[in-house]
Amino acid sequence: MCGICGIKLPASGPIGRYLVDMCQAMRHRGYDSTGFALYGDPVDGRLVLRLRIVEAAHTHAALDALEGALRERGVTLADEHEADGAVDAPDRFVRALVRASTDQVRDIVRAVDDAGHGIEVQSIGRSLEIIKDLGDAETVNARHGVDRFTGSHGLGHVRLTTESIVDVAYGHPFWAEPFPDISIVHNGQITNYFRFRRLLTQEGYRFHTSNDSELIAVYLADRMLHGETLWDALKTSVDELDGCFAYLFATEDEMGSAKDPLAIKSLVAANVGGVMAIATEEQALRQVFASELDVDLPEPRSIYVWDRDGNVTTEIV
Amino acid sequence: MNAAGVDLQGTTASIDADAWPKGLNRELRRLAEEEGVTEFVIENPRSRHNLAVGQTADVTIRFRGSVGNYCGGLNSGATIHVERNVGWAAGEAMARGKIVVEGNANMATGASMRGGTIHIKGSAAARCGVSLKGGTLIVEGDVGYLSAFMTHAGDLIVCGSTGAAFADSLWQGNVWVAGEIRSLGTDAVVIEASDDDQERVHGLLRENGVDGTFTFRKVVSGQKLWYFNNRNPDAWLKI
Repeated sequence: MCGICGIKLPASGPIGRYLVDMCQAMRHRGYDSTGFALYGDPVDGRLVLRLRIVEAAHTHAALDALEGALRERGVTLADEHEADGAVDAPDRFVRALVRASTDQVRDIVRAVDDAGHGIEVQSIGRSLEIIKDLGDAETVNARHGVDRFTGSHGLGHVRLTTESIVDVAYGHPFWAEPFPDISIVHNGQITNYFRFRRLLTQEGYRFHTSNDSELIAVYLADRMLHGETLWDALKTSVDELDGCFAYLFATEDEMGSAKDPLAIKSLVAANVGGVMAIATEEQALRQVFASELDVDLPEPRSIYVWDRDGNVTTEIV
Repeated sequence: MNAAGVDLQGTTASIDADAWPKGLNRELRRLAEEEGVTEFVIENPRSRHNLAVGQTADVTIRFRGSVGNYCGGLNSGATIHVERNVGWAAGEAMARGKIVVEGNANMATGASMRGGTIHIKGSAAARCGVSLKGGTLIVEGDVGYLSAFMTHAGDLIVCGSTGAAFADSLWQGNVWVAGEIRSLGTDAVVIEASDDDQERVHGLLRENGVDGTFTFRKVVSGQKLWYFNNRNPDAWLKI
């Protein structure tokens, strides 16, 4: 099952509120976990790290170790704070700003590895912040204040766990290590997962989970690294990936979607006055657009790209 | 005393769906059976799912806006009017009654319906009339891919064009198309409709207020999938 949604605004706006409402409207599609990929306004020379410390008691030791490991690689912590209001939760979420460029993402990842203490990276990017946790959208929002977040675009996901475990790390959206500002939400199954995982692992990529959605993010980001546009990468994925899928993919300033040839996974999209929203169910779109509307139904093998200038292009590939 | 969001005037009830996150269908039945309501007007449906499911009384239910998935499912008497669009599987498995949609329909309209009438004034998306088992399903616009899949019985009337793989694995039933057929599915065969057939289908359209003259073609089963023939497994292997 699962439900996915995405929104792109013409200017910075309340994407957090929209995504919480859209996800909550699709609560019945899964409430094992809910997650958001939020794209805020980037600050030059800074990267945002979203971390989860698996054992809350280790938070201070973990952050001290991380700061040391980052310093060894010439990265300084500009600001850090515990980013959730749940004092009695077993884990702890941390939002940290580091003085670093996007070339240093690999260094930061290695520093996290060295620091130990059970730190999980949820996302790294100039503007991307992934917030995901167990429970439905309002539960996650109550703990993490997602609705206060403003930005240009974002993705949301409600998860009914079917093929792996109920665990924060396995929730969507997924970040694609080591690409800054890349995120994905996905509804479906990739049946030739192991083939592509093996190929990408041979290229040197590391996967944090055995979830097929993480694969799609790395797969697309890798193709874009090798010079393909988002459009071309999405197009190739429809040919190469098997299974039934509908996914939304975001970079720092673009969003895209792709649908498999059988297209059993629902998607509806609408674009009203430059506000673009897409979701598994129309009632989620109605959280964004109060008035009546006619939605687009992406066809089998169709891809959509919402580019940095606010244009929407679509094609059946 | 009336429940929140219900304005009862004689035999007419106006209901605000925003006040009914749950239990609206049960309330519709209660108002029909206990309060004698025959006309319902539902405000703010906001594409919600499962609206007017399982209605048994001969009442009229008007939705002032779009509804979500499964609207009018298992209907056995109500006349449902949707002023805008419907989501997936409108009228799924309905037995009696009528659903009229002013706008478009998402996937699987009339899935496994057994009786009654569904009338879509716009277009219907993929898998329209999937496993149709009876009744009349009229689409004034186009239908999407895999429509009329495994249709068993009843009439599916498409005034516009069809998507790919139309009438795949068609069993029986009466499937009529006036426009282009993008491609036929496995074991579907197009035949010319007789004058009697044309007259009958136009009669069904007129009963539902659709005027105009069309030239319908009929899609029937090639009957290759009716019985398994181990000397000719190709037909089965294709599906």
